Amino acid sequence: MEKHAIIGKDIPRTDGRAKATGAAMYTDDFKLPGMLHGKLLRSPLPHARIVHIDVSKARALPGVKCVITGADTPKIKFGNWRLFPATQDEYPLAVDKVRFIGDEVAAVAAIDRDIAEEALELIEVEYEELPAVFDVDAAIAEGAPVIHEQSPGNISIDRKINYGDVDKALAEAYYVREDTFTVHAVSHAYLEPCSSLAQVDLDGRITIWTSTQTPYIVQCLLAATLGMRENDVRVIKPYVGGGFGGKMELRTWEFCAAFMAKKTGRPVKFTLTREEELAYGRRRHPMKIRSKVGFTKDGILVGKDLKILLDGGAYNSMGPTATFLCGNFGAMLYRYPSYRFLGEHVYTNKPPAGAMRGFGAPQSLFAAESQMNLAAEELGIDPIELRIKNAMVTGDRIPGVATISSCGFIESLKEVAKMSGWKSKRRRLKDGRGIGVGCYSFISGGVFNWFNTQYPFSAAEIRAYADGTVHLLTMASDIGQGSDTVLKQILAEELGLKMEDIRITSADTAMTPQADLGSWGSRVTLMAGNSILKAARKIKKQLAGAVSAKFNLNVIFDIKFADGRVFAAGKPDRGMSFGEAVAFVQKANRGEPLVARGSYTPRGKGLVTPAFSFGAQVAEVEVDKETGLVKVKKMWTAHDCGTVLNPMAVEGQLDGSIQMGLGYALSEQFVMDGGKTLNTTFLDYKMPHAPDMPPGESVCIETYEPEGPMGAKEAGEGLVSPTAPAIAEAVWHATGFRCKDLPITPEKILRGTGKL
Amino acid sequence: MPIPRFDYFAPRTVDEAVNLLAQAGPDGRVMAGGTDLLVKIRFRVIHPAAIVGLKKIEGLERISFSRNKGLTIGATALLADVAASSPVRRYYPGVAQAADQTANVQVRNMGTVVGNLCNASPSADNAPTLLALGARVRITGPGGQRSMSLEDFFRGPGMTALEPGEIVTAVTVPLPPPRSATAYLSLSARAKLDCSAVGVGVMLALDDRDRCKDLRIFVGACAPIPVRAGGAEQVLIGEKLTDSTVEQAALEAAKATQPIDDVRASADYRYKMATVLTIRAIMDARKRALRKKN
Amino acid sequence: MKHSITLNVNGDTYNLAVDPWRTLNEVLREDLNLTGTKFGCGSGDCGACTVMLDGRAVSSCLTLAVEADGKEILTVEGLAPSGEKLHPIQEAFIEKGAIQCGFCTPGMEIAALDLLRRNPGPKEDQIREALAGNLCRCTGYAKIVEAVQDAADKMKSNQS
Ligand SMILES: Cc1cc2nc3c(=O)[nH]c(=O)nc-3n(C[C@H](O)[C@H](O)[C@H](O)COP(=O)(O)OP(=O)(O)OC[C@H]3O[C@@H](n4cnc5c(N)ncnc54)[C@H](O)[C@@H]3O)c2cc1C
Ligand code: FES
Ligand code: FES
Repeated sequence: MEKHAIIGKDIPRTDGRAKATGAAMYTDDFKLPGMLHGKLLRSPLPHARIVHIDVSKARALPGVKCVITGADTPKIKFGNWRLFPATQDEYPLAVDKVRFIGDEVAAVAAIDRDIAEEALELIEVEYEELPAVFDVDAAIAEGAPVIHEQSPGNISIDRKINYGDVDKALAEAYYVREDTFTVHAVSHAYLEPCSSLAQVDLDGRITIWTSTQTPYIVQCLLAATLGMRENDVRVIKPYVGGGFGGKMELRTWEFCAAFMAKKTGRPVKFTLTREEELAYGRRRHPMKIRSKVGFTKDGILVGKDLKILLDGGAYNSMGPTATFLCGNFGAMLYRYPSYRFLGEHVYTNKPPAGAMRGFGAPQSLFAAESQMNLAAEELGIDPIELRIKNAMVTGDRIPGVATISSCGFIESLKEVAKMSGWKSKRRRLKDGRGIGVGCYSFISGGVFNWFNTQYPFSAAEIRAYADGTVHLLTMASDIGQGSDTVLKQILAEELGLKMEDIRITSADTAMTPQADLGSWGSRVTLMAGNSILKAARKIKKQLAGAVSAKFNLNVIFDIKFADGRVFAAGKPDRGMSFGEAVAFVQKANRGEPLVARGSYTPRGKGLVTPAFSFGAQVAEVEVDKETGLVKVKKMWTAHDCGTVLNPMAVEGQLDGSIQMGLGYALSEQFVMDGGKTLNTTFLDYKMPHAPDMPPGESVCIETYEPEGPMGAKEAGEGLVSPTAPAIAEAVWHATGFRCKDLPITPEKILRGTGKL
Repeated sequence: MPIPRFDYFAPRTVDEAVNLLAQAGPDGRVMAGGTDLLVKIRFRVIHPAAIVGLKKIEGLERISFSRNKGLTIGATALLADVAASSPVRRYYPGVAQAADQTANVQVRNMGTVVGNLCNASPSADNAPTLLALGARVRITGPGGQRSMSLEDFFRGPGMTALEPGEIVTAVTVPLPPPRSATAYLSLSARAKLDCSAVGVGVMLALDDRDRCKDLRIFVGACAPIPVRAGGAEQVLIGEKLTDSTVEQAALEAAKATQPIDDVRASADYRYKMATVLTIRAIMDARKRALRKKN
Repeated sequence: MKHSITLNVNGDTYNLAVDPWRTLNEVLREDLNLTGTKFGCGSGDCGACTVMLDGRAVSSCLTLAVEADGKEILTVEGLAPSGEKLHPIQEAFIEKGAIQCGFCTPGMEIAALDLLRRNPGPKEDQIREALAGNLCRCTGYAKIVEAVQDAADKMKSNQS
C-alpha cells in the first residue's frame, strides 16, 4: 500500500484552538442589532382539534413585535422524503390539529426572552380533545383514533424485502426460534440545544444561521415552506454542538425565525431550552421486533423472517428511512440464504422519532445479535464460533440490495475474542461477572435519493493559489465529528501539501458548491472525500502539465506531489514548489485562477450504500445480584472501517459511541405517562457521566474499501449498535437473566432473577 | 427559560435577614446556595417575590467543633467545605462522606448542608446520616431563637417545622458515642453523583461485648420524609449482630417506608432496596465500629 | 429594581446594573459578550456553563449575577489571556483529541483547572469524579481524562 504523509496520522482537529479558547461561535452566541427573541407555544394535549386561537392579548403586550399561528403561514407541508410527497406530513405550525404534547401551535418574537415567554401565556387556544394512542399495538388496532387523515390505519409507510424461500427454509430447518424484542426511545442529548437566527436583507432574502447537520435540506425545505425560491435562502452552519441525527430536518423554529424576520424586518433568534429538547425533541425509534430464524444442525443460518413495528410518534420525520434501514440491517452481518422483512411505520401521539446515530441499526441489531446469542446457547455452540460460521465476507451479495466490497468481520471477531480472553472468561468468571458479545455492520452513506436532490450527493470546489495555499469549499457539515479536519487531510495528502496550507469554507449554501446532503448516515468522509479527490485530481493534472512543460519531461514520467512540491518521480530536482506550479498554470491561462470542481453521486451501488463497515465488541460486566446494578468493567472492540484516515478521530468516535451505547443499554430512557415525557432534565435523563464509563481497548482491522477515498469507509456511527446486545449477553452470563426489552434496568434484572 | 422576576436582598446579620423575611411575608424565601431554590423558580414550582440571600452574613459559613459541644455547621457552610473540613472528617466521617457524595463539584461549591436539609427533599443525601447522629437545628425567627431535633424538623416533601420568618442558622451534631460508626448507602441508576432513588443511613454503637448498644436507622427517598426505622432498631438493640438478626431488622426497616413509583424507581424496587441497603449499612457500620476498641 | 454590581472577569472590571433574577451566565453571555461560557441546561446538570468564582468552579446558570458582586470570575476566555500561548489544559485538550463538537469544552476546562489547583497529581478515578458535573455526548470522556492527566504533567513541569 502507498505510504501516506498525513493520512493515518493523529492529526489534532483544526478547529481545536477555537473551541479550546471559547472563540468558536455556536448559533446562540450570535447577536445582531435589533434582534428579537422567539419562543414557541406548544400543545399541552396529545391529540386535539384546534377550535380557536386568540393572540390579541399577546400581541398587545408591550415589547412583543410579532405573534403568528398556523393560519398566518403559507400552510405548506414539509418532510425530508421529497421524492414521495405523500410522506410530507408536517406543517411548520399546527394547522387545525395537534398530534403530540409539544406540537408547535404559535410563535412569538419580542424584544427580550422574558417578554416573549410572558406573551406565550397570553395566547388563548381552545382545543377539542381527541382520543389518543401511545403505543403501536393500540395505534394499529381496529377503531383506533386516526392521527393523519391520509393514513387511516395509522401506518404511514411500509417496506418489504424478500428473497429466497423463507417458509420452506424455516420449515426444513433443524433448529428454529422466534423471539420478540422491544426497544425504547432515547435522546440524542447533544449538548448544544437547537438554535436558529434569521435575518432578511434589503432584497427580502433570508440568511439563517442554524444549528444543523444538513444546510442544504434546510435551504430547500425552508424555501418551500416560505413559498420562496431556493436561492433566496442562505443557510450558514456555524459551529454545531453535536447532532447525532437530531438536527437533520427543517425545524419549526427555523421556519418561524425566517418567517418572523421577514414580517418584522428584524433578525429573530430562537434557542430551545433543554426541557423542550427532552420533552418534545426527536428521539430514537422505539420498535417492536419479531424475529424468527432457522439453523442447520451445524449452526448454519438458513433463513430469517423479520417483522418490525416502528413507533414513529406523531409525524414521519425520518421514519421512512429508519423503516427502510432496519430491514437492511436485519439482513447484515451473516449470510441469510432466505430473508423476509416487513417493516411498518406507525403513527402514535408522542413526540416524533427521527434519525439518530445508527439509524435503525441499534434496534434491529439488538434483536439480531441477541437472537444469535440465544441460538448459540441452545445449539451448544460458542457465540463467537457461531458468528464466524455465518459471517459475511468480501464479495458477498445481498440479493437486490448490495454487494459487500470490503469486509473485515471475521478478523474482527477473532481479534476481539483474543483481546478479551473470551474463551477462558466464558468458561469461568467470578460469581456475578459475565461476558458477552455483540456485532455491527453499518453503511457509509445512503444511495437512495429520497430527498430528490437535483444536484450531486456531494460536491467540492478547490482553488489553488500561487502562494502555495489551497482553498477547499464544500457544503459538508462538521457538527463536531471532525469532518473539516479529515477532509483537509484528504486534500493535503492528495496534493502533497501540509495541513496549514489548506483553507476551508464549509456548510454555507451561498458560498459552497451545490450540493451536499449533509452529515448523517456516515456519508461525509466517503462522499465529500470522493468529490474532493476528483477536484484535486483535476488540479493535479494541470500542475503536472506545467511541470512537464517547464522541464521538458519525457511523457513516460510520473509526476509526484509531495512535501509542497510537484516533480518528476525519481528526479526530485526536476520540479518546482506547488505555488510556483500554480503560478505557471495561471500564467499559461492568462491570469485565470486555478479552480476545479469535483462531485460524487453513488451510482450502480444497489439500494443501500456504497460501502459497509463491520465490527465486534465484547463487554464484561459485574452485576450486584441484590440491587440489580450493572457495572460494565471493560469493553473490547475490533472494527473494520477501511483505511484509518485519522486514528485519534476514529478512537474518539468509538469512545463516544460506547457512551451512547451504554446509556441505551442500561440507563437512558424516557419515562412516559401516556404522551407526556416526565423526565425532562439531565438529572433524570440519565446519560452516562465520566465515572460511569468503563475502560476500553480497541483495534482497527484495516481493509481497503475500493469505493472509499483512499480506501476509507464509515467509522463511529455503526459502533453504537453492538454495545447493548453485548451487555445484555454479559448480564445473562452473569445472572442467567435474558433481557429482550431495553433498557436493562436493575428492576428488570431483579424481577428476571426472581428477587423482586 | 429565563428565571422569573423577584427582588433580592443580601442582609449582613441574621436579625436583618429575619426582618426582611418578615416584611416579605409569604412571598419571601431564604436562599443559601440556591442550587435547589433557583432550579425550582426556573421550573415555576415556586414563585417568590423576594429572596433573602444568606451568604453575606458573617459567621454563618463557619464549621466549628469542640469535644463538649460537638459539631456546628453554619447555614452557609458549603457542601465542599464540610466534606473537606478536618474535624468533620475526623470525628464525623459519615457527615463528610455524605456531603462529598452530594451532587457534583460545582453544586458542592455553591450548595450547603443546611440548604439540603431545609429543602426537605425526601431524598436529601445529607439527612439520613445527620438524623442517625441525632443532629439538631438552630433556628432564629421573629420570636427569637429556638432549637429542635432534626427528626422533628421534617414534615413532608419540601415542608419543615419552620414558622414564617424563621431561618435555620446552623445544624449541630453531638459527639458520637464511643465504639460507634455511621454508614450511608444510596442507590441510583448512574454509578455516582446522582439524586438517589433509595438511601439508608445508620448510626451504630457497640457495647464492650460487641452487642448492639445503640442504633438509629433512617431511610431516605422512600416516604414523604426520611423515616426512622424504629422497629428495626428495636430488633437489634441489646442483641448480637448476626446475619439473621440483621436481616430480620432490615425487613422491619422496609416496613417503615411508604415508597411510591416515580421517574427514578418503582415502589416495589424501593421497598426491596430499603432492606438490602439496611443490611449493608448496618454491616458496614459494624465493621468500622468493631475496629474501635474500648 | 436593578442592582449595581461590579464584576471582575478575567482581570477586567465591569460596573453593571442588573436585574436581581438574572444569572451570571446570562450576564456573561449577553451583557459582556463573553460567549465562550456555554448554556446547556440551566439547571446545574450539564456543566457547560462552569466558571471559576473566587477560585472555585461553579455553575454560572445557577449563580445570580448579584451574588457574584465584587467577586473574581474566570471564564474560558481568561485561561490564556495573552491570546498567544495557550493554557496547558487547553493545549492538552487539543493535542489529545479531547475536543469534538467543543460545546462541553469550556466547562470541562474550567472544571479541570479547579481539580488541578486542588490536586496537582490526580489519579484517573479522581479526574472522573471531578468531571462528573460535566456532561459530554461526543467523546465518551476517555480523551478528556487523558488530556487532564497530560495537563497535570505539563503544569508540573512548567513549575519546576
Ligand atoms: C445538578 C444538581 C445535583 C444535585 N444532586 C443532589 C444530590 O445528589 N443529593 C442531594 O441531596 N441533593 C442534590 N441536589 C440538590 C441541592 O444541590 C442540595 O439540596 C443542596 O444542598 C441545597 O443547598 P443550597 O444551599 O443550594 O440550598 P438553597 O437552594 O439555597 O435552599 C434550599 C431550600 O431551603 C431553604 N433554605 C436554605 N437555607 C435555609 C436556611 N438557612 N433557613 C431556612 N430555609 C433555608 C430555601 O428557601 C430553599 O427552599 C442537586 C442539585 C443540583 C442542581
Ligand atoms: S447550563 Fe449550567 S449546568 Fe447546564
Ligand atoms: S465534545 Fe461534544 S459534548 Fe463534549
